[in-house]
Amino acid sequence: MKNNIIILGGGQAGIYAAREIRQNDSKSNIKILGEENLLPYERPPLSKDFLLDKKKEEDLYFHSSDVLKNENIEFENISINKVDFENKKLFAKNDNVYSYDSLLISTGSENKKLTLDNNLKNDIYYLRNLEEAKKIKEIVSNKNKITIIGGGFIGLEIASSLSQLQKKVIVIEIGNQLMGRIIPKQIADLVQYTHIEHGNEIILNKQIEKITKKNGDYEILLNDNSLIETDFIIAGIGSTPTVKLFENTNLKLDNGIVTNQFCETSIKDVYAAGDVSNFYHPFYERNMRLESYQHAQNHGICAGKNIAGVKTEYTSIPWMWSDQFNLNLQLTGICDEYDEIIERGNDINNGVIYFFLKNNKIRGACGVGIIGKVGRDIRITSKLSEKNTIVDKQILSDQNLKLNKLMQK
Amino acid sequence: MSEENWIEVGSTDSIEEEDLIRFDHQDKTFCVYKLTDGFYATDGICTHEAVHLEDGLVMDDEIECPMHQGIFNIKSGEALSPPACEDLKTYPVKVDNDKIFIKID
Repeated sequence: MKNNIIILGGGQAGIYAAREIRQNDSKSNIKILGEENLLPYERPPLSKDFLLDKKKEEDLYFHSSDVLKNENIEFENISINKVDFENKKLFAKNDNVYSYDSLLISTGSENKKLTLDNNLKNDIYYLRNLEEAKKIKEIVSNKNKITIIGGGFIGLEIASSLSQLQKKVIVIEIGNQLMGRIIPKQIADLVQYTHIEHGNEIILNKQIEKITKKNGDYEILLNDNSLIETDFIIAGIGSTPTVKLFENTNLKLDNGIVTNQFCETSIKDVYAAGDVSNFYHPFYERNMRLESYQHAQNHGICAGKNIAGVKTEYTSIPWMWSDQFNLNLQLTGICDEYDEIIERGNDINNGVIYFFLKNNKIRGACGVGIIGKVGRDIRITSKLSEKNTIVDKQILSDQNLKLNKLMQK
Repeated sequence: MSEENWIEVGSTDSIEEEDLIRFDHQDKTFCVYKLTDGFYATDGICTHEAVHLEDGLVMDDEIECPMHQGIFNIKSGEALSPPACEDLKTYPVKVDNDKIFIKID
């Protein structure tokens, strides 16, 4: 049967879903509607290699327009402002109407904005898309002392890049550690030490009271009355799922679009994938919302299969990374449900990993090390976790013993 | 091709099964693998970002990059899973008197 399949959102989940649908369905029309006038591209390099000029815009695209053409996947740059789920129609700002048989929502997430009671809205920069990355890159070339508000992944990756561009960088974080939402303090402290070693200033436990513009520069007043002078401000304070379009519809929302393990939403023939979806994970027996490269890709693929009629549960074990200076930080599984923590290694040069165990099985792990030093062990950990293996803690804690030994053939 | 292209890597017992070693020659880095059916060689640096595959995980016929989990087929070099999309170069391998040689062009 030939269907009209519309993918709302031209990011990573959207493009992977489109290609997966095509793999399983050669006939249906597949159209991606994207708000950015760009083919789907990789976001991780924006805060790193793109700022450092090691990657150019053309290196970021997942696929060339030829690939999409060959697979008969249409991409249209359009902004949708109304959805009629009952009649299966999307309405664009320019009065175009799009009818669908199946709809995938992959609108992603958007940056939280600082709420400051003065007119500095256009003075604070955020980084999520290529356009913002280009602007930041251009402006920082003339700035020297840059303040980053928020000590999460994005803020710290930018801090690392700007430091490598010889800028003086200050990071202000409201919490008592960096990356506090998902990274254990022990690992965060190692990363913090590396930033300080490279000359970045890290300020923890401080809130911003006021930002004042002075002769083109800024003064940031903190809640301990200290004052920071800076000539450029970037904020990375988290994100929220992009669901405004659906707020007055029947679509079930709760920290994103609620989906089951098949990427199905509360409305028939409507699916959601990637950052925007608060999905049920059968392995953890709970709902979660993830913002990561691996998830956007795998969840998109899973949605694609289900849309094409290949019923597939999403069982991917979460995994994410961050690269800062010469460090690679990786996280797998979930690190907030445990009854025991085991440490492997104590030297960042060889990699340090914390395993989070529950009933002698690994639920999650977080590691950091010089690039290349934790990836293999974290990957093995994902597999052990996925297989519910009861682990030998002696092997886990001794870096001289290979984790492969724990893998059952 | 001349005999000089075969470069000695080391002895066959220097690699555990389903594992790899890194081998540097002149200014290039290679990975040499021992799989269940023999020895194989590829470039030693991931095609996605410049990271050494020596720290990667070998599973069956595949090597997975330790940095971003790009996966390559060790025998063909084919990039199997994003973010890697460019294939990895492979090299012929022979074993002579318990020594491994790879042919570098």
